[in-house]
Amino acid sequence: MKKLTAIAAVFCLLLTAAGCNAADTADPKGDAIYFLNFKPEVAALYDEIASAYREETGVSLRVVTAASGTYEQTLKSEMAKSDAPTLFQINGPLGYLNWKDYCADLSDTQLYQHLKDKSLAVTSEGKVYGIPYVVEGYGIIYNNAIMQKYFRLDGAKVRSAEEINSFSKLREVVEDMTAKKEQLEIDGVFASTSLKPGEDWRWHTHLANIPITYEWEEKGVDLTGAGTKEIQFSFAENFKNIFDLYLDNAVSERKRLGSKQVMDSMAEFALGRCAMVQNGNWAWNDIKEVEGNTIKEEDIRFLPIYTGVEGEENQGLCIGTENFFCINAKASPQDQKRAADFIYWLFSSDTGKRFVTEKLKFIAPFDTFSADESPDDPLAKEVARWINREDAQNIPWNFTLFPSQTFKDHFGGALLQYAQGNLEWDGVVEQVVSDWKSESAGR
Amino acid sequence: MQKSLQKYAAVFLFPTGICFLIAFLVPFVFGLYLSFTQFTTVSNTRWVGLDNYLRAFTDNGDFLNALWFTAAFTVVSVLTVNLLAFSLALLLTRGIRGTNLFRTVFFMPNLIGGIVLGYIWQLMINGLLLGAGVDITYDPRYGFWGLVVLMNWQMIGYMMIIYIAGLQSLPGDVLEAAQIDGASPWQKLWHVTVPMIMPSVTICTFLTLTNSFKLFDQNFALTAGAPMKKTAMLALDIYNTFYGRIGDEGVGQAKAVLFFLLVAAIAFFQLWLTRKREVEQ
Amino acid sequence: MKKPVKQKNGWLISLFLGALSLVFLFPIFLVLINSFKGQFYISDAPFSLPNAQTFSGLDNYKNGVEKVGFISAFGYSLFITVCSVAAIVLFTSMTAWYLMRVKTRGSSALYYLFVFSMIVPFQMVMFTMSKIANLLRLDNPLGIILLYLGFGAGLSVFLYSGFIKSIPLEIEEAAAIDGCHPLQIFFLVVFPILKPTSVTVAILNAMWIWNDYLLPYLVIGSRYRTIPIAVQYLQGGYGSRDMGALMAMLILAIVPIVIFYLTCQKYIIKGVMSGAVKG
Repeated sequence: MKKLTAIAAVFCLLLTAAGCNAADTADPKGDAIYFLNFKPEVAALYDEIASAYREETGVSLRVVTAASGTYEQTLKSEMAKSDAPTLFQINGPLGYLNWKDYCADLSDTQLYQHLKDKSLAVTSEGKVYGIPYVVEGYGIIYNNAIMQKYFRLDGAKVRSAEEINSFSKLREVVEDMTAKKEQLEIDGVFASTSLKPGEDWRWHTHLANIPITYEWEEKGVDLTGAGTKEIQFSFAENFKNIFDLYLDNAVSERKRLGSKQVMDSMAEFALGRCAMVQNGNWAWNDIKEVEGNTIKEEDIRFLPIYTGVEGEENQGLCIGTENFFCINAKASPQDQKRAADFIYWLFSSDTGKRFVTEKLKFIAPFDTFSADESPDDPLAKEVARWINREDAQNIPWNFTLFPSQTFKDHFGGALLQYAQGNLEWDGVVEQVVSDWKSESAGR
Repeated sequence: MQKSLQKYAAVFLFPTGICFLIAFLVPFVFGLYLSFTQFTTVSNTRWVGLDNYLRAFTDNGDFLNALWFTAAFTVVSVLTVNLLAFSLALLLTRGIRGTNLFRTVFFMPNLIGGIVLGYIWQLMINGLLLGAGVDITYDPRYGFWGLVVLMNWQMIGYMMIIYIAGLQSLPGDVLEAAQIDGASPWQKLWHVTVPMIMPSVTICTFLTLTNSFKLFDQNFALTAGAPMKKTAMLALDIYNTFYGRIGDEGVGQAKAVLFFLLVAAIAFFQLWLTRKREVEQ
Repeated sequence: MKKPVKQKNGWLISLFLGALSLVFLFPIFLVLINSFKGQFYISDAPFSLPNAQTFSGLDNYKNGVEKVGFISAFGYSLFITVCSVAAIVLFTSMTAWYLMRVKTRGSSALYYLFVFSMIVPFQMVMFTMSKIANLLRLDNPLGIILLYLGFGAGLSVFLYSGFIKSIPLEIEEAAAIDGCHPLQIFFLVVFPILKPTSVTVAILNAMWIWNDYLLPYLVIGSRYRTIPIAVQYLQGGYGSRDMGALMAMLILAIVPIVIFYLTCQKYIIKGVMSGAVKG
């Protein structure tokens, strides 16, 4: 029985120690720069970067990564904590509005001095609150080997990818390819339209960017003003054009899309089961890492996403960024300085730059990178090619102005219902317009 | 003795009491207060009165939808789980070969956590629906019945154990007397066994009722509310509201208070029923 | 008592129950099969056995264990469960005894507060509790034990109280006359008598804490992953849900439970029975 009393005593000690212990372990934690990372696909890489940084500078970096589609949510709960992130990110001007109390002025940071195009930064009243750190592009990725096979077929609608410069051409080709899919040895032209909740951002965000951009362009909406609080979705038909084309010529049936994820689509593409998939240059890692992939590096190309808008022949890829570094204004000045030092190190030191170009495969918008210091993966090179093409009208990333994650999630849900045949297209349009308005109201 | 014990109040009450204060009492009272305010990080609360409660119903139909879904799910689960568990208990108290083995197997799923269960059944159900070319997100009904099957799989074993305990404590002479009186097995079951194990029925009903009503993990893992939040139950809807959008925390907390009131109402109703029956006997 | 009747169709019932057992075990078996298939061959053909093309050996296990840090998740789960259960058994039995033996207005008010807490759903306190845990720096595997003790106190105090009511006072009084002070009475006399209830309390709380997802996720999830959090984590990521790793993790999450269950089956079933009768 003495034992029991002893156990009791130990437990009392343990429990009172819990409080103190927390304080103890808090010290090394307080030492580290806390970075809340947005990109789950590179979470493991940031751990490598953290150890490299510690080796070179002795400063430790703690990286926490939010799961897909939960960044705002995680940021919110982490910011409420006493040990809040020092380095975090926003997705653009709208994110800034949510977090402006927490965004420190970055005008004097070294990294900002090296930003090539200062207009890319998130600014307000002459101060800089978010520094973009990666330029990305998306479009329709295609497997040139399969396309070449098609071009060589008798009666092919076009003989080269350059001839596809509008939606009608694209549809003609795609539908013809679907008809000849046995000859081409594919299960469908497009990869599955992943519509599992949280896996639907390629549509409710990326694809939707195109019609919304056209709408704002047509109306001459000032993107920094209140004009973005309401939309008509006047180019909804164009969204439907391409979305239907994806659905009807894909590997998977419409009704089963609710459990398809992006990785499934990328795997279908990598395994050569389809010829095209809509995604961005960040997807290269996914494609490369699929076991048994059949696709060759030189066969990966980009095609713009044509939607049937007048004069779209010159349209390019969608190029922009939704990744802006912010430093927590409520952190101690010393911590803020260390966070700024870290991001400058990452994009200027030799070690850091190697990580950026070789591992993270970021196209970095800073003048610390020379022309040959860019990622060598085929998709990044394609994006760079499109950026430099004078004849192409690349589309900016205006989806950073979409009202909220809730809006996107609803939109994705509606698209799934539409795909499964449980919701009319008009219902989708109606919902998008009204959600946009109601979700913008709180701003 | 009471006096000398009271001197040790601190030793006996302090550890549990302080933790209870931290983990329950303060959060509970604080939560009640927050349901009347708008807040994002607690440091910036603004009193809004009953606004949050109003918004819980008017912002969108999610809460009401979740309420109906939960209610329907609870009714169906309570009925199926108890019927099946009771039948199994009857079969397993007849002394047939392998009773222990069967009992072991049927009880096992109960020990597996909700998140894990959810993914196991997601694989199962999507696999079964594969033939029809659809998946669980195609129709909210799939999600509904998926959850019911999952709940049955998990809870039957537990309830079965309680029924077995009830059946084993039945006095053998009453049943024998019924047999001698020439009662058919069915009559025996209905007029002798069932009334006598009513306490077990009450317990099982209560346990399945509250467990179904408060279900979160299984719902979260199996459908996460898809399609379009139509299969989100109350607990999940509260979670989604809370952590969904900046500015909605108060609404989430208000929903949580309503949820608590509902659960409390069910519990008191149950208590009242039991009391009433005890008085009658 | 009625042996002759049941023998007649006993084998039929056995057969039926046997078949039903297989149905019960099938989902787990299905996950097991799929855990040996490559990740892209699972959702399209879950019912087919692995073949030369789809068989991936132990890759999924290796992959999953690395991706989510399963070993440490297992460690955290074990640590938190064992310590919390020990703390709950020890402290709530003490509290329950005190509350049953000292009859003041304060003590009965406290008792009813504990009972009341049993019906409050976690969602009611999830936000405020995690906020307070963070403020008090309890957001670590050690601190969370206090939260479990606090949040689990209601049911445990209730179960202990029910049992303590039935213990005759004479035993304790005799010990008091022998000169034992209350701590001695409790640990030498009462606690051993409480053993059956302690088993019940331990089993019920262990089942809850081991499988709990939301509380640890909200309180310590960003830094320490328990097993349920690790499984859910596989879900996240831009298109990175690895079905194969998920299957492997599900199996790894089930195995310890099954082993524990098969070794302590007697206690678990007894614990569930008596816990239910009183609850």
